[in-house]
Amino acid sequence: MLRLAKNLYLHRELMSVLAWKNIALRYKQAYLGIAWAVIKPLTLMLIFTLVKSFVGIDSGNIPYPILTFAALMPWTFFQESASDGVNSVVGNTSLIKKIYFPREIFPLTAVITKLVELGINFVILAGLMIWYQMLPSVYVLWVPLIILYTVLAALTIAFVGAALNVYYRDVGAALPVVLSLLMYASPVIYPLQLVKDKLLVHQAAGEWSNLLYTLYTLNPLAGIIDAFQSVVLRNEPPDFAAMVPGAILIAVLLPLSYAFFKRAESFFADVI
Amino acid sequence: MSIIEVEHLTKEYRLGAMQGLKQKLLHTAARLRGKKTEQRPLFKALDDVSFSIEQGEVVGIIGHNGAGKSTLLKMLARISTPTRGTAKVNGRIAPLIEVGAGFVPDFTGRENVYLNGAILGMSRQDIDKKFDEIVAFAEMEEFIDTPVKRYSSGMQVKLAFAVATSIESEILIIDEVLAVGDLAFQRKCFDRMDDVIRRQGKTVLLVSHNIRQVERMCTRVMMLSHGSILQDGDPHATCDRFYQVSNQTISHQKAKDRSTRVISSGEVQDIEVAVLDAQGSEADSLTEGSALRIRIRFTLNQPLTNPEFHIGTHTTDFVYLTGESTAVLGQSHEFSVGSHEIEQLIPVYPMVPGTYGIRFAVIDQRGRVVFHGESLRFFTVTAKTMDAPLQDELRLVSVPIEWKLQGKHYFKQDKSN
Repeated sequence: MLRLAKNLYLHRELMSVLAWKNIALRYKQAYLGIAWAVIKPLTLMLIFTLVKSFVGIDSGNIPYPILTFAALMPWTFFQESASDGVNSVVGNTSLIKKIYFPREIFPLTAVITKLVELGINFVILAGLMIWYQMLPSVYVLWVPLIILYTVLAALTIAFVGAALNVYYRDVGAALPVVLSLLMYASPVIYPLQLVKDKLLVHQAAGEWSNLLYTLYTLNPLAGIIDAFQSVVLRNEPPDFAAMVPGAILIAVLLPLSYAFFKRAESFFADVI
Repeated sequence: MSIIEVEHLTKEYRLGAMQGLKQKLLHTAARLRGKKTEQRPLFKALDDVSFSIEQGEVVGIIGHNGAGKSTLLKMLARISTPTRGTAKVNGRIAPLIEVGAGFVPDFTGRENVYLNGAILGMSRQDIDKKFDEIVAFAEMEEFIDTPVKRYSSGMQVKLAFAVATSIESEILIIDEVLAVGDLAFQRKCFDRMDDVIRRQGKTVLLVSHNIRQVERMCTRVMMLSHGSILQDGDPHATCDRFYQVSNQTISHQKAKDRSTRVISSGEVQDIEVAVLDAQGSEADSLTEGSALRIRIRFTLNQPLTNPEFHIGTHTTDFVYLTGESTAVLGQSHEFSVGSHEIEQLIPVYPMVPGTYGIRFAVIDQRGRVVFHGESLRFFTVTAKTMDAPLQDELRLVSVPIEWKLQGKHYFKQDKSN
């Protein structure tokens, strides 16, 4: 991990240039340019709002559109960072075969690129908050930490996935499927409060209820999305109980994932 | 301390493609039951290579395709990891394994200079400082704000070369990049390389198939063959060795190729073609300007009255060079059933060093072709002096020469004498 930090520092310029390349390249010949970064969460927000009007999801005292947009922001960021991260090594074959620099630069750059797009979504979020006449509180100071945690969660998948993808392209193909399943297992369409009520308050699954809830919160996104909504919209501190299982999982898996990546990286140029 | 130290470097690759899931499962199952499974065979791209390079040396690496040159450079540039052994590099290394790696077609020249510079390890300030020089060197002032995808390939390479050679590093690795652009730009590249080598005192590793270039630029040349070092040291001696080996390879390959073209009626059989040296023993090569003696043995299963024999030589791409017939002798010969032997002697074979083939034809007295074969055997003409290969591209035959300069006569002299 220390090596990772050192490499990060040594190659900060390269990473910023590569991230700039990714962003510039993505929107170079597109008329709408960077606006595409917000179109995806906005569209999903509209669809979910439409669906909600049929099914009826209790969003508490927060208007549903903004609640789901605040869920889609960290979710889209996580999902795209992870999948771009996994494909980043294979996608840079020509560089891998020609020039050496620490290979973790590729997944890291993919995540940084997505951070920029996340930043643009904050503008939309601010617009929505003005529309609904909501005021942020001091708790928004948690936002950078929550995003950092999301970055770490995305990197956990990106490192191991990127390395495996070099050997087995199945990983890159399977990931979108897995991630879209994970979206339904995360409180994106519905708020975490619903799950909590069902399992912890009503004990819907009997004696298994508490265990099931812990399992549910083992998904780091459960804690992340709920915390993001709490600090930005509900003016509450994050619900740490919902974050602990996921955080422990990431704390264990991230070093393993990175170690695996570093072990595999010396063969990238031969195998890719 | 040496700037590059390589010890017992070995790199193995597994041949063949990745196995599918089914095969993998079958193999794993077989292994679990304690059976031996077929492993994909290993290929040694580099086999126990050791050497060291001192600060300021300009080392050329030559060898045929697949000799391990690029693999070696990849190990030094840390792109690939050795299977065994170590490759220690004490200094910053700038690998120009291929110029223009990471050029993005949609970006303008300017954007690509910054991107490529960063990829090669330059800081933004460095690039800012050198930007004008890079553009001027590449002669790209007009086009620098045009997307690279609209460039001609020559323009791309010029820009890439300009960026790559402006990196500040102790060691420069160059793989086949000098053969870029038009002649005028190649000249510029040479001058730039010369500047890098001689004035800045950098250590340079140059891989090239342009042996002349290597011979001229390097202070030391290493020849690789099948993953190991065949010769290492003086550029002239090593390059000369390279010419010898590659000529041999050509003749071996050609012989194996069976590019032999034969028309035969079946009356002439068991044809055996040999090249003889002055002592009369079989040889595969002769020195430039010496005698060529061709002996042909064959068996007849029909008697031939007054046949015409035709023996000639040709290049490997079937350009007929010599060709003489016994018809001009005006003599009548009877050839009975059984084996026979004929010989042709060319006192001075005039061709320049290279590989040549032998052609043989038998025509009966009515003009019917009984046998005609090309590439029946190959032989090599080797250079008399070490400089000779440099001229070979400019001539086909080597002839005795007399010069008259400022009223004085000069004769071509061999350096070896």
